[in-house]
Amino acid sequence: MTLHGILNAAQGMQYFQRRVETTSSNLANLESDGFKSDLITASLRAGTMMPEAVSTIDLSQGTLNRTGRTLDMALEGPGFFTLGTKTGERLTRRGSMELDGLNRLSDGHGNLYLGEKGPITLPSDHAVIEIAPDGTVSADGQEIDKLRLATVPDTSTLSKEGEGRFVAGGKVEPMSADLAPVRQGAVEESNMNVMTGTIDLVMIQRAYASNVEALKAMDSVLGSVVNEVGKV
Amino acid sequence: MNPGLRASASGMQAQQLRIDTIANNLANVSTTGFKRSRASFEDMLYETLQGARSVDYQGTQTLAPVQIGRGVRLAAIDRVHSQGTIETTNRPLDLAVEGDGFFQIQMPDGTTAYTRDGNFHLSDNGTLVTNAGYEVMPAVTVPADATNFSVSPTGIVTVNVGNNSAPQEIGQLELARFANPSGLMSLGGNLFGASANSGDAMTGQPNQNGFGQVVQNALESSNVEIVQEMVDMITAQRAYEVNSKAIKTADDMISTVTNELIR
Repeated sequence: MTLHGILNAAQGMQYFQRRVETTSSNLANLESDGFKSDLITASLRAGTMMPEAVSTIDLSQGTLNRTGRTLDMALEGPGFFTLGTKTGERLTRRGSMELDGLNRLSDGHGNLYLGEKGPITLPSDHAVIEIAPDGTVSADGQEIDKLRLATVPDTSTLSKEGEGRFVAGGKVEPMSADLAPVRQGAVEESNMNVMTGTIDLVMIQRAYASNVEALKAMDSVLGSVVNEVGKV
Repeated sequence: MNPGLRASASGMQAQQLRIDTIANNLANVSTTGFKRSRASFEDMLYETLQGARSVDYQGTQTLAPVQIGRGVRLAAIDRVHSQGTIETTNRPLDLAVEGDGFFQIQMPDGTTAYTRDGNFHLSDNGTLVTNAGYEVMPAVTVPADATNFSVSPTGIVTVNVGNNSAPQEIGQLELARFANPSGLMSLGGNLFGASANSGDAMTGQPNQNGFGQVVQNALESSNVEIVQEMVDMITAQRAYEVNSKAIKTADDMISTVTNELIR
């Protein structure tokens, strides 16, 4: 029986280990634009009483921060921008754009922001770039394309790729900018809350220590049983 | 050993970079035509751990993959090209651009540099140069006996020669604009260079087609706002602190195992 209890305590320790790794990663990204924090919750492992970590992404809106930079944009609402990458289409909330060698809107890593007609190329002889709240990109008043916004009906199918990109494992649907106006000259701040993170750290450490105590207690009982009982 | 430690270390490093950027901004709070920088960050590649089957409160069994983040990295350090305040200096050779556009400067190696610093001087030959001696393009040469150097908002340079009371046009200044000015490379000395990220330079006359106007007897101040930088510095410090707390927590957890469990 105590052997099973030791396994249980060890599983609990492993779960809190996952928790602290996730909290550390979230806290490291307190200043990352467009970052969505990860939440770890515990579910019961099927057929046992042991906790199993389940991760979800917290997609709540981050605060918009005005930077005044022409090629910065943020969504004020749900949904994502669409990126074209070498490995397929990706979703992102990061809107800090750069121009690549062919004057196309890119994310600085070789991935291109997609409009209704595909990658958005800015004409080389225009200079004032405007992004309207409905996603229309125009140069010197002339319309070029409209940003393709997307939404995911089942957000549990989303996973993170890093560099602000999300991979949709399930259905992706187009979204109108009425639900999320595009704000030019602003970035969306990380939605990680430093208060929650700090409190979590305290709680995780205490829970981990409690599991260690439980493990030590059971080990000591087992030790007594093995070494003392039956001693003549 | 503990991936959380590396993630927190990357977080502390990121805040360090932010402080470095803020420090450079603050150092240049009085530099003519300076444009502040802003560091932007993004998360790093994730590790997906495939968990065992878990049961939720309704009794349905699902496969539970867990994604563990690996920290943060610097995405870019962008220059913010917002307008700085125009400050009157009452010096005729001081020029500022109010709006979009850079002065064009001819570099000794033949390339063109761009600047918002209009603190100009006259060389020995009477040409308009920067305070480092580089010529302004298109070149403007002032005759030896000229007085009343005057620049209109559209960049037309006039002087009064000798006893002639009518102003004589001696040149036309042109400005350059870019699709993405924050992609310009910093060359030092208040100069910027074009790059693939900024797009090609588009030249034109001031005060038309979206180009800003030239203001004489004035210089453009740095666009660094001290309050903004101080607030950024405070948040960077607190973020640095909380990341170090995360390291301490992870460390305490490891030491709980190594010191208490192992007999």
